[in-house]
Amino acid sequence: MSARLADGVGTERAHHFETVAQQRYAATLGIWAWLITELLLFAALFLVALIVRIQHPEATQEAARHLKFWIGAVNTVVLIVSSLTMSMAIEFSRLGWQRAMVRAMLATAALGSLFLVLKGYEYYADYTEHMMPFLGSRPYELAASPASRLFVNLYYVATLLHGLHLLTGISLLLGMTWMASKAGFLSRHQNWIEIYGLYWHFIDLIWIMAFPILYVVNR
Amino acid sequence: MSASGTVDSGLANREPHAPEATLDRPADYLHAESTLRSWFLTTDHKRIAILYLASITAFFIVGAVAAGVVRLALVVPNGAVMTNDTYNKAFTIHGVVMVWFFLIPSIPATFGNFLIPLMIGAKDLAFPKLNLTSWYVFMTGALFTMVSVVLGGIDTGWTFYAPLSTAFSNGWVLPALIGVTIVGFSSILTGLNFVVTIHTMRATGMTWFKLPIFVWTHYATSLIFLLATPVITTALILLIMERAFHIGVFDPAFGGDPVLFQHLFWFYSHPAVYIMVLPGMGVISEIVPAFAQKKLFGYRFVAYAAIGLASVTFFVWGHHMFINGQSDLASLAFSALSFAVAVPSAVKVYNWTATIHKGKLRLDTPMLYAMGYIGLFVLGGLTGLYLATLAINQHIHATYFVVAHFHYIMVGGTVLAFLGGLHFWWPKFTGRMYNEAWGRISALLIFLGFNVTFFPQFILGYLGMPRRYATYPPEFQLLNVLSSAGATILAAGYIFPMLYLVYSLWFGKKAPANPWDAKGLEWETASPPPTLNFTSPPVVPRVPYDYPIQEQETKAQHR
Repeated sequence: MSARLADGVGTERAHHFETVAQQRYAATLGIWAWLITELLLFAALFLVALIVRIQHPEATQEAARHLKFWIGAVNTVVLIVSSLTMSMAIEFSRLGWQRAMVRAMLATAALGSLFLVLKGYEYYADYTEHMMPFLGSRPYELAASPASRLFVNLYYVATLLHGLHLLTGISLLLGMTWMASKAGFLSRHQNWIEIYGLYWHFIDLIWIMAFPILYVVNR
Repeated sequence: MSASGTVDSGLANREPHAPEATLDRPADYLHAESTLRSWFLTTDHKRIAILYLASITAFFIVGAVAAGVVRLALVVPNGAVMTNDTYNKAFTIHGVVMVWFFLIPSIPATFGNFLIPLMIGAKDLAFPKLNLTSWYVFMTGALFTMVSVVLGGIDTGWTFYAPLSTAFSNGWVLPALIGVTIVGFSSILTGLNFVVTIHTMRATGMTWFKLPIFVWTHYATSLIFLLATPVITTALILLIMERAFHIGVFDPAFGGDPVLFQHLFWFYSHPAVYIMVLPGMGVISEIVPAFAQKKLFGYRFVAYAAIGLASVTFFVWGHHMFINGQSDLASLAFSALSFAVAVPSAVKVYNWTATIHKGKLRLDTPMLYAMGYIGLFVLGGLTGLYLATLAINQHIHATYFVVAHFHYIMVGGTVLAFLGGLHFWWPKFTGRMYNEAWGRISALLIFLGFNVTFFPQFILGYLGMPRRYATYPPEFQLLNVLSSAGATILAAGYIFPMLYLVYSLWFGKKAPANPWDAKGLEWETASPPPTLNFTSPPVVPRVPYDYPIQEQETKAQHR
């Protein structure tokens, strides 16, 4: 909020605000409030996954061993690096380096997309290994263990919800990158980059929690 | 055109110097533009409030008709009026529509939206576009739910308990669940907007302890919107997955647990009670001082009580599950915490009555509703203590006692506060006065009709009549007929305001800026307000509730 901005960056405001500082404060508070609700959304899901794990330790361990640990681990690194590039975009935006900012945003979107591609490959591998128990018509690998079915299904709900957030994030980011490549963007909307950066870090953070809860804890 | 300054409102204590009508006065928000586009793409918080008001009134009518069907069915004990299936669908539609599409958005999305910026001296909410988005999200959710109703309805009850909603219900559960999930996001967006607005948009000099209680209760409500709604979103997503793909999370055959759904559901839905109640408390806290012409008694404690309620309410969800096999220790803790809810509630009730005490009382329509609210809220609240008592709960759990209890809170509380607030701020919203005589008659009719409808249900529940049954033993018929008769009086009480309020839009007397001699920044601006709310920056008074009578008794004691 109190970040130093270069001249001409983040100087315009909407009509219903009195000052630019007020507008920036409102936006920062707004995104944090949103992230708290998002956190609770995922927290409830992780809570359910943990309850299932406590109630059925063997079944969840068996199921978790069938998840693709290394794809998940690589994806964790991919997202952490994308958070770095997003941070760089924010810093460039404060300095008024618009071209560098746009490049950093594109890099972030590319890393996010790489995550989705790897995730898609993982789902495909799950499919070929008969690890999609929610598909009623397809045989399930661990059919003997009903609770493992539940855990694997929760894995899909959690990762799909996270993937949906990431997909939304990439779409927003690309739309914003397109707008940000035009002159005058930083004087009007530098704030967007800051706000969006928090959202991106949040998606990253959710994955950092999901990865151990789903892939690692049971190993 | 608008010569509001020359009109005599004919009310007691009217402001003697209404503002002069001037030609260069900016057009008010209603007349600034009149195209459909200017309404459906507006970002003006006042117009969005009107959009919400029209929508939730429509849903109220749908829910009320469904309630009428339920009361009709229960006139006879043997269920001969309609099939059990129709009865189940009627009470489900009633519950789903009233809870999710009327009570939860009712006061926050309409009055809160309209009044919070006015009360804190801002030009708009912090995020006007998000505000409009929330209305579209709300309507999208409503569309899904209405599709489910039109296609044939659902029979799960408004609580959607698994496994009934996942494995055994044949109705259109999926669209209804999707609709309710979507509506949650509109609540979150509204709550987020309010929190940020109250933090960042206050006029110079409007410190936290100068805020009207209406703003405090909406702040508390918004915190619940933000912190509880996402949990039910997850619960509903899991329920949707369970029904669509049978993922097993609420199915014991796969190691799941149906009671887990109840935990997740009530973690939101108990705080949701305070989403419905707290804004009403805010409305009453504005009406009572205005019609007693006296400073709100114990202002700070009323404000703390709002935050207190919003906090304690997160720790009482288990009292909905006393007989569902949770541990005795958990039940004991939830019971004790539920008793704790009574403390901040009582603080509010005592402070309202202390405000009335030795005030210069005027029994205009809003005040009649407010006094009705206080009485009915006390009854509803005290019967809540019966239900929080573990031993008594075993006896009256899931009976009509519960139905009567929460209707005393939801209808006696929220709906009366809604109607009271609607009459109180109607001149501000529309620039017109309604017919006072009709207003008072309707307020009394509603109070009478409400008690005739719901008081017998306390007795029915105590005698053991379970809720949600289409048939009952013949000895309960008298009380059930009484209840249904009361519902017709109540219906008349609801129909009158719809008629005379709409009539007043065209034929009502023009309202002055402050017809009630009330305090608060919303009364400083014109009725209806200009698009940007204030023509000059509002001056924040030295103290909140700056009424003529200022706790004289305290001064007398110190003398």
